[in-house]
Amino acid sequence: MDSPQQAFKEEAYELLTELETALLELEECPDDMEIIGQVFRAMHTIKGSGAMFGFTDISSFTHEVETVYDLVRSGEMKVTKTLVDLSLQARDHILGLLDAVCEGQPADLPRSGELVRQFQALIPGKTSTPAFEVPVQEEKAEIDELQTYRIRFNPSPEILKTGTRMSALLDELAELGTCRTIAHKSKVPPLDQIDPELCYVSWDILLTSPCREEEIRDVFIFVEDECEIRIRRLDIGSDGEEQQKRLGDILIERGDITQDEIDKVIAKSRRIGEMLVDARLVDVDAVESALQEQQLVRQLTEKRKEKTEAPASSSLRVPAERLDELVNLVGEMVTVQSRLSQTAALSGDSELQSIAEEVERLTEELRDSTLNIRMLPIGSTFSKFKRLVRDIASDLKKEVDFQTAGAETELDKTVIEQLNDPLVHIIRNSMDHGLELPDVRQAAGKPRQGTVFLGAQHSGDSVVIEIRDDGKGLNTDVIREKAISKGLIGPDENLSDQEIYQLIFAPGFSTAQQVTGLSGRGVGMDVVKRAIEALRGTISLDSTLGKGTTVRLRIPLTLAIIESLLVKIGSGSFVLPLSAVEECVELTQSDIEDSHGRCLANVRGTLIPYIPLRNSFAIPGPVPPIQQIVITRIDGQQVGFVVDTVIGEHQTVIKSLGPMYRDVRCTSGATILGDGSVALILDLVPLTQQHAVTEAARLS
Amino acid sequence: MSHEENQTNQYLTFYLNGEIFGIPIHRVLEVLDYTEITKVPQTPDYMRGVINLRGSIVPVVDMHLKFDLDPSERTVNSCIIIMDVTIEGTKTSLGALADSVREVIELEPGQIEPAPKMGTRLNSDFVQGMGKHGDEFIMLLNIDAVFTGHHGSLSEADSVAA
Amino acid sequence: MAKTVLAVDDSRSILQMVSFTLKGAGYTVVEAGNGQEALAQAQKQKFDLVLTDLNMPVMDGLTLVQKLRATPSYKFTPILMLTTEAGEAFKAKGKAAGLTGWLVKPFDPQKLMGVVKKVLG
Repeated sequence: MDSPQQAFKEEAYELLTELETALLELEECPDDMEIIGQVFRAMHTIKGSGAMFGFTDISSFTHEVETVYDLVRSGEMKVTKTLVDLSLQARDHILGLLDAVCEGQPADLPRSGELVRQFQALIPGKTSTPAFEVPVQEEKAEIDELQTYRIRFNPSPEILKTGTRMSALLDELAELGTCRTIAHKSKVPPLDQIDPELCYVSWDILLTSPCREEEIRDVFIFVEDECEIRIRRLDIGSDGEEQQKRLGDILIERGDITQDEIDKVIAKSRRIGEMLVDARLVDVDAVESALQEQQLVRQLTEKRKEKTEAPASSSLRVPAERLDELVNLVGEMVTVQSRLSQTAALSGDSELQSIAEEVERLTEELRDSTLNIRMLPIGSTFSKFKRLVRDIASDLKKEVDFQTAGAETELDKTVIEQLNDPLVHIIRNSMDHGLELPDVRQAAGKPRQGTVFLGAQHSGDSVVIEIRDDGKGLNTDVIREKAISKGLIGPDENLSDQEIYQLIFAPGFSTAQQVTGLSGRGVGMDVVKRAIEALRGTISLDSTLGKGTTVRLRIPLTLAIIESLLVKIGSGSFVLPLSAVEECVELTQSDIEDSHGRCLANVRGTLIPYIPLRNSFAIPGPVPPIQQIVITRIDGQQVGFVVDTVIGEHQTVIKSLGPMYRDVRCTSGATILGDGSVALILDLVPLTQQHAVTEAARLS
Repeated sequence: MSHEENQTNQYLTFYLNGEIFGIPIHRVLEVLDYTEITKVPQTPDYMRGVINLRGSIVPVVDMHLKFDLDPSERTVNSCIIIMDVTIEGTKTSLGALADSVREVIELEPGQIEPAPKMGTRLNSDFVQGMGKHGDEFIMLLNIDAVFTGHHGSLSEADSVAA
Repeated sequence: MAKTVLAVDDSRSILQMVSFTLKGAGYTVVEAGNGQEALAQAQKQKFDLVLTDLNMPVMDGLTLVQKLRATPSYKFTPILMLTTEAGEAFKAKGKAAGLTGWLVKPFDPQKLMGVVKKVLG
């Protein structure tokens, strides 16, 4: 609705994030002028743009904080923990003010006043603390419309001696919008009397621009004291109805002539401009300038009816929903394109085929660039975690050094958003259950300060995120006992360490122990695991008792489209993620007989276990004499999946199966094929695990 | 929600095994002819699968199996009623496979009686009330309840697969 | 040909930032740590723009401006001052000395470029 305000909000949210990062760094290096500068600049920008867009509550509050940081910059104040704490509170408060504006809630001005008083109490030598003034709501300036200004610029003759360049000034004005410039040269003396160091010319400029008057005045900021600068916004009726000004009126309005003088010449009946010039009441330039204005106003009035276009920009903000819509459209485009390719291939029409190929190439490029737009560095969430770690550490009375790596790693925006909660939970867990209290650590011969590491890096078409702590590690005995007491495993079950770690992810395992109030949100690691799997990712754990724990998440880069292999079983179509596929081999009836009921295929001397999907999925119908095994690599292990036929590679646009199928383990979604039918996307990891369980049960 | 529920007294009625059922018309998006349904492996039988509805994946539930009636026979009248439901807080579209669609009727609140606790094979949570239209009784379904919770999810999916 | 800028400041960090920004924008930058050094540089070559701090050891910014303006080749050269305040008193003094404009600290690269472009055109 209000686009400049929206832009400010987005900018402010970013700045507040940067501010938070800077404040946390500042706490570590309280003398770093660069960081102080960053803090100051962030405040400064929020203040400045806030004021421009009518966020006066934010602007006046931020101004007070900025003032304090100005003192810090100039060395009059020191950065203390109190200041950083207070600044973080101020940062949160600004966020609150911003949220309040967004939600149409009243601003918490008492809180502003309270924080300002606390800031002022920090200022050395500041005894009286003037109450925070509740700012008067200012009228918002209309700035999204183009305005036309008449600017009279009459510089002092001496202006050149300060190194001022007239051409630079006029060029700068021209950059603000569309300019019509008329120079008044009447004061230029004859050539032999000219002093080349003086400026004799003055200018009338008609500027049509979205800028406000202050911004235009800014152009003249260095010369305003030695020049006559008059800026006036011309009224051009927005409905185009306003009466056109007559030339005489314009000249009078500008003070070039009086009504009397006009009245005197008006008796004669030539064109008024010529008459005025002849009468030596105004010079030719003045009339020319006024005529220009008249003409411009006329044009603008007409143009306004057609609605002027917004000025172009090198980067622009787009609402995320529009981007999602675009991705959806590209998804459908990919589907239609594969249908076209299929039809073209069948038609045997070589011209159609070459068109289809071209469309395929373009679609691929379109897909890649569209998905690229949504890629964001994961670092934006890292800074949030820094704050989280700091807060948790002080709540838990633990000392924590939070390290990050790979902040620049890019992931799909949606993925980053959905990673937030699981990461929060894992980090909480690491600090709550992993890291020991400083005294305990010291007694164990470890540094008092524990370390939590959060890192991200690319690995093929996935991103691997690691959360590592150097805490006490996972105690398999304790987990085991707990699992037995909860009935998750039998008392005599023999499990490997990895299998025991996996118990942490079992539903109902971790909720009861969370009594610290911190992680007590009623969610256990099973929820984390579900969330990661919803992103088609995997989660694994590694731990050494007494040394620490590592949680490793592997997340696909994007959720929208994957390269896949299309296969058929009976009448059903399925796709497998191509990234996992290594090769396809035939499985004949005699192969099956040779393996004596053990599902193992001999591929060039290596025995590879395979899963007959037809059985797993209980698909009816005759088994073809020659089936295909799609050999994949899952978590480093080769596994084959038996299908009827392999159709080929396929661009798969992933569609969710919806909440009804939320608990389905073997498929991660569906896709629509070129002929309009639905194919299911196989989720290979759970399929493999499930098969292993059934196999084990069958053999035992 | 209550506002939404009150805004209409119209119901779409359909047949299942000769019995008449009704659902509020404002929840119905459209009625499709029977089409090819893709079964999702390892799901209960009543979850017939998914269909492609103009580029969206929509699940289809076999109402016969859902209500433990005799399996349905496919006829030319078989149809899929696409409706809006809220499953565990998420609004979604869903198709119900029915024997045939009958008509849209109007029922004043006075014509609706509370669901009988007994005498019906249906779980009483599924029934919003009994409508009386002429001399016929119409079982008005609480469709959110029908497709939600333990009745709708597939907690036994794994055992089905094994 | 790339325009040349003489950047004068006793603070290494500010000088670095100014220099980095201007070089990034394609200018050639020569640095000086105070007014005296700057004057020496200005006599060796002609700069298109001088950017100077106000408070510096040895020779302050205002003196530098006056001395430059007294040099024929710098009579009309744009000179910008980096300052923490731009009050009326400062402006009057600066203008009297022949200052073209000023840039209030703290400033970011964008603002710096804005002002440089403003006076250089």
